[in-house]
Amino acid sequence: MLLDFDRLGAWKWVLVTITALVSLFLLLPIVFIAALSFGNSQWLIFPPPGWTLRWYRDLFADPRWLEAAWTSARIAIAVTVLSVVLGLFASLALTRGNFRGREVLRAFFVTPMILPVVVLAVALYAFFLKIGLNGTFLGFILAHLVLALPFSVISISNALEGFDKSIEDAAILCGASPWEARFRVTLPAISHGLFAAAIFSFLVSWDEVVVAIFMASPTLQTLPVKIWTTLRQDLTPVIAAASTLLVLFTIALMLLAALVRKGMKK
Amino acid sequence: MTTPFLQIRNIRKAYGDVTAVNDVTLDIAQGEFMTFLGPSGSGKSTTLYILAGLQNPTSGDILLDGRTLLDTPPHKRNIGMVFQRYTLFPHLSVGENIAFPLRVRRKPKAEVDAAVRRALKLVRLEGFEDRMPAKMSGGQQQRVALARALAYDPPVLLMDEPLSALDKKLREEIQYEIRRIHQETGVTILYVTHDQEEALRLSDRIAVFSKGVIDQVGTGTELYANPATRFVAEFIGDSDFLKGRIEATDGKSADIRIGEHLILPAVSVHGSARPGNEAAVMLRPERLTLSSTPVSTAGSLAATVKDVTFLGNNTHVLTETATQEVLSVRLPFGHEAAGSLRPGQPVWVSWDSSSAHAFCT
Repeated sequence: MLLDFDRLGAWKWVLVTITALVSLFLLLPIVFIAALSFGNSQWLIFPPPGWTLRWYRDLFADPRWLEAAWTSARIAIAVTVLSVVLGLFASLALTRGNFRGREVLRAFFVTPMILPVVVLAVALYAFFLKIGLNGTFLGFILAHLVLALPFSVISISNALEGFDKSIEDAAILCGASPWEARFRVTLPAISHGLFAAAIFSFLVSWDEVVVAIFMASPTLQTLPVKIWTTLRQDLTPVIAAASTLLVLFTIALMLLAALVRKGMKK
Repeated sequence: MTTPFLQIRNIRKAYGDVTAVNDVTLDIAQGEFMTFLGPSGSGKSTTLYILAGLQNPTSGDILLDGRTLLDTPPHKRNIGMVFQRYTLFPHLSVGENIAFPLRVRRKPKAEVDAAVRRALKLVRLEGFEDRMPAKMSGGQQQRVALARALAYDPPVLLMDEPLSALDKKLREEIQYEIRRIHQETGVTILYVTHDQEEALRLSDRIAVFSKGVIDQVGTGTELYANPATRFVAEFIGDSDFLKGRIEATDGKSADIRIGEHLILPAVSVHGSARPGNEAAVMLRPERLTLSSTPVSTAGSLAATVKDVTFLGNNTHVLTETATQEVLSVRLPFGHEAAGSLRPGQPVWVSWDSSSAHAFCT
């Protein structure tokens, strides 16, 4: 190849340096916050004068943090399930259907990704105020579902487009009813797309803060909202500890996704 | 008279203004190997998909054993099908793929296992049960697809160009496998292809499709020796055509004038033969011969040699007639004239009059 890495000579080291700098730029804030969460300074001094696990103890001792995390998890799981199911049906219609305005509908499904989140948040807030959904569990789920659905529709549509419909026809000729063929043949064949949709949907809801601030009430808060409000009230390293755990959990999910994808390729 | 096993009755399929299949009627006997042969867009695949139930006809009927199939949904028709593309279920092993049709029929495990073993033996892939489709060659995948389509003993097997993605050598190998399987199982096969050689090699009878209609149905020999239309003559075997005009006719054969002076007597004619009508006279390269003097007992035409190509078992000679029409002549190896022919040389092209056919439009 023209740009074979081994034949670049001195340029190789330039590329290595640039890559290292970019990686540092991306990783430094995370390293920084992780270091602060173990530092013993009350005032988030960097570099920390000493090390402690106190902030983690405080975090786990405070039921409000745990409650917020549990709320986040419940909302994210509900959003994941709904987003994958609705995304699957929407994708089936968008890839298999033959109706007027299909492309318009496809674009419409993706608009929440393009719209500024704060605009969407205000709109949802105003709408939910009218129907009394603000500050409710259902309101949270519906609001996050709007944000998560585009990811599901895109992942599942892509998987469906890569799947030859003749395979489904073959299953039907073999004696499976159309829905049986979809469940026993099409779904397993596009499972990587369903899995990607699930991971994305979960993460969209799990670390979403803008819409969540509008939806939250004093009694119902997600973890990112709790971090945000705590940050505004008093600057404590407990936030760093919570953030570190949030990042760790996200990394674990991404690793799991990568592992599953690798397993599927075999 | 007994009812034919499978009847296709006046099937029509239109998409808006386009008619893909136009009034196709065909009877197929039990155990017959019937091939739909034709170029792409001739309606052969659409007819097959209508039989499978994956498409609905605009009008017409399909009868199996005298009963209509059209009110039965595709998954209840109990018909086997092998597709052009590879359609093995990617997440299931070979054994599970073949077991699939039996499992959806809720057959007991012992019966499923026995059927899988039998089907794998039939396509000579014993021991491949646990292999995943992605780890198999295209030819092996199509054999598994065949095994899956036969595992539940369907009365009819549909095959839609199953070998078109394979290379020539492999294709021939699997053609013989399909023939053997047809003989062993006695299943009625409807096979779609655009490859005339494949059709001739496999079929009991061939239906030649052109522009949504069946031009002719018959054995390979019948189609080759007595093509009903110019299209069939062109599609099966090689052929050249001479422009002529009908001088006299009794409707079955005609005297046809070629150019100024030549009249071909008693050529069998197809289409609306009336004196004065134009006719295209078909001659097959392998039925022609060359000589230095005209042959009195047969049709004969003066021509000039244009090109000579030695092809091993035969020599291909390109000639041009006095009316500037091209005739190909294929001489078998060892033919006395073959060695001495040179471009520019005048020759006589002759043929047995029974091998010429004229088509009127």
